[in-house]
Amino acid sequence: MAGEIAIGFAGNPNCGKTTLFNAYTGANLKVANWPGVTVEKKEGRFQFHDSEYRLVDLPGAYSLTCYTMEEQVTRQYILSDEVDVIIDVADASALQRNLYLTLQLIELGKPVILALNMMDIVEKRGMEIDTHRLPEMLGIPVIPVSARRKTGLDILMHAAAHHVGKPSDVPLIHHHGGEGGVTRSTRGARHKHQHHAEYAMVYSDLIEDKIDQLIDELQARYPGLQNYRWHALKLLEGDRELLEKYPVNRPDVLDRSYEQDIINQKYDFIDEIIQEVVVNREERSAVTDRVDNLLTHRLWGLPVFLLIMAAVFFLTFTVGDWLKEYFQLGLDWFSAGTLHWLEVWQVDPMLTSLIVDGIITGVGGILTFLPNIIILFLALAFLEDSGYMARVAYVMDGIMGRLGLSGRAFIPMILGFGCSVPAIMASRALENRRDRYKTMLITPFMSCSARLPIYVLFSEMFFADHAMLAAYSMYVLGLVVAVLCAFVMGLLERGRKRQGNALLIELPEYKAPSAHTIFIYVWEKVKDYLSRAGTIIFVASILMWGLLNFGPSGYTGGDMADTFGSLLGKGLTPFFAPVGLGYWQIVVALIAGVSAKEVVVSSCAVLFSVNNVNSAAGMASLSAILSGMGFGPANALALMTFSLLYIPCAATLATIKKETGSWRWMLGAAAFQVAVAWLVSFVAYRAALLVM
Amino acid sequence: MTLLDAPAGSRCLVQELDLPMELSRRLEALGMITGSQVNVLRKKRRGAMIITVRGTRFAVGMQIARHITVKEEK
Repeated sequence: MAGEIAIGFAGNPNCGKTTLFNAYTGANLKVANWPGVTVEKKEGRFQFHDSEYRLVDLPGAYSLTCYTMEEQVTRQYILSDEVDVIIDVADASALQRNLYLTLQLIELGKPVILALNMMDIVEKRGMEIDTHRLPEMLGIPVIPVSARRKTGLDILMHAAAHHVGKPSDVPLIHHHGGEGGVTRSTRGARHKHQHHAEYAMVYSDLIEDKIDQLIDELQARYPGLQNYRWHALKLLEGDRELLEKYPVNRPDVLDRSYEQDIINQKYDFIDEIIQEVVVNREERSAVTDRVDNLLTHRLWGLPVFLLIMAAVFFLTFTVGDWLKEYFQLGLDWFSAGTLHWLEVWQVDPMLTSLIVDGIITGVGGILTFLPNIIILFLALAFLEDSGYMARVAYVMDGIMGRLGLSGRAFIPMILGFGCSVPAIMASRALENRRDRYKTMLITPFMSCSARLPIYVLFSEMFFADHAMLAAYSMYVLGLVVAVLCAFVMGLLERGRKRQGNALLIELPEYKAPSAHTIFIYVWEKVKDYLSRAGTIIFVASILMWGLLNFGPSGYTGGDMADTFGSLLGKGLTPFFAPVGLGYWQIVVALIAGVSAKEVVVSSCAVLFSVNNVNSAAGMASLSAILSGMGFGPANALALMTFSLLYIPCAATLATIKKETGSWRWMLGAAAFQVAVAWLVSFVAYRAALLVM
Repeated sequence: MTLLDAPAGSRCLVQELDLPMELSRRLEALGMITGSQVNVLRKKRRGAMIITVRGTRFAVGMQIARHITVKEEK
């Protein structure tokens, strides 16, 4: 038995690469980032014919230049010794475009297997692909598969195992576009170079001459380099990275960038291939066109989108909240049970308090939101896998364009209504760095589900008759603030050369979503959420508990007036006084809310010693205490506004840190959000004082 | 004329890309090069359009479309 075989999965975005990858590895995969960049790296292992396989899902890319992080990551990984075989996944129904990456992968010199995915769609459309001629023209094995129906998987893995260490043992047979004698002996007849037997992709004489000259130069200067032909080609393309790494002094050869020529000739060759191997070519797919007639209609597109989003929210909040109540019951039961047993076992009261008031309250509170999150992600995965999400970018492009953002930036903003964390992760899809950062700044203003408990409690206490309206207005306010901030940032950028908001997104064919893909998508998000609850929120809960139970004189045993928390709250009161929140308990609750927004409510309950704060009696007593302090409706409005807009939560901050890779940026975003929250609350509070 | 002026349902040939280097390289990698055929499927008033290039559908914003010179094929 040979050792472990490493297989890299490469392919265009939307070619079904991840579905194929999942078909082999299932849900047992390791998700991490590629070293030094925020591009996701997925790895899975599996056993096949007593060999161990390590599968790596490379980021989806259209080409292997060095213009995007994904492309750089892909090509560096393939060039490294870590990978034995590359499986190039191609969407057979869009072969023309997919072959461009295939040609580049072949040029890298590693063994490549072409997996022709989505053959079922090809057949359905009445097209045929000559799978005997295609490998002859490319010089690599071609295996038809269907990732969704799981056909051809064993044959593909078998081919991969067979080709380890053998870049190409499929004979290349060129016919030169079918013109002239169609024989195997035409190679070399028209070119003075003898490359047709060796390389699938042969360029014009001008380029081939230059490649030969550069290879000589590279061999002399950099002995031991792998694949001189590829390096020579990249130098001709004017590849920044390689020109720096392997400078050559041949201005006569590198008199200009030949990138455009090389791209053109590759596409010429692809046209030749398509001519020969695709029978019954059909340009458009009828089903997708019909669906697009409605979903991307000039007028109906937007209303249809709003209806779909309304349905998603309806599901999230009705079904999700219904399940959430059971979670809450379970949590109460668990908390009471734990408390009971800790008392029975006579555990130290301080430890009991830490476990029950700190950890279970903090971590458990977050876990109760799990049903909402699962349902939201199920809906979003469905929209994404069916191919609709990309259309949203098109539908919203006009409106977002006015804000100086591309239509794509709207997708993270929608997700923000559910939870800021996945919303910020979704901003990855924006290619432009400035757009990404801008989106990360405004997405947390979209009111996430964790903020709802705050609105519910305070609007019911202070705006009894208009409670629903008060809560709803917070959602609108969040959206308005996000839009205004984007608009102002757009104004500030005006004058600078801006190409950032240019929309360019592939619209995949519509398809019935695969249950397996959706399951894995949701499971990954849930796993992420749970692991955060187990780490960041766990630690934050303990810290909060410590702040509220310890003071200069040590453990206070439940009396909060002399704790570090109250000292901190009192110290910060002057900052909060102008916006109507100059009460140390409120300040502490807001600070506690940084661990997770719903903690503001539970902290108020603890700080004002009100049990069961959501019951009518609890609300009445809390309301009485607050009114006694001079905290009225205007203050409640300020509190709701401030809660909506200030630092989203520790998990969101951690995500911003992870996505930007910069502490400074994360702190800057937090400061920005506090500043906006303060300003808007100030206006809201002063205006409310005038009116009420 | 530019791609932005092409009406829905028309078929054009790309003549020139006048875009920042990175963006035009990305378009070229997608197969949009001088001489490629572009079909305009649908268009909105504010310029975003859906096109097909080499059998693949794309949504393209007006910031890009107005910098692509095309010739309409009759």
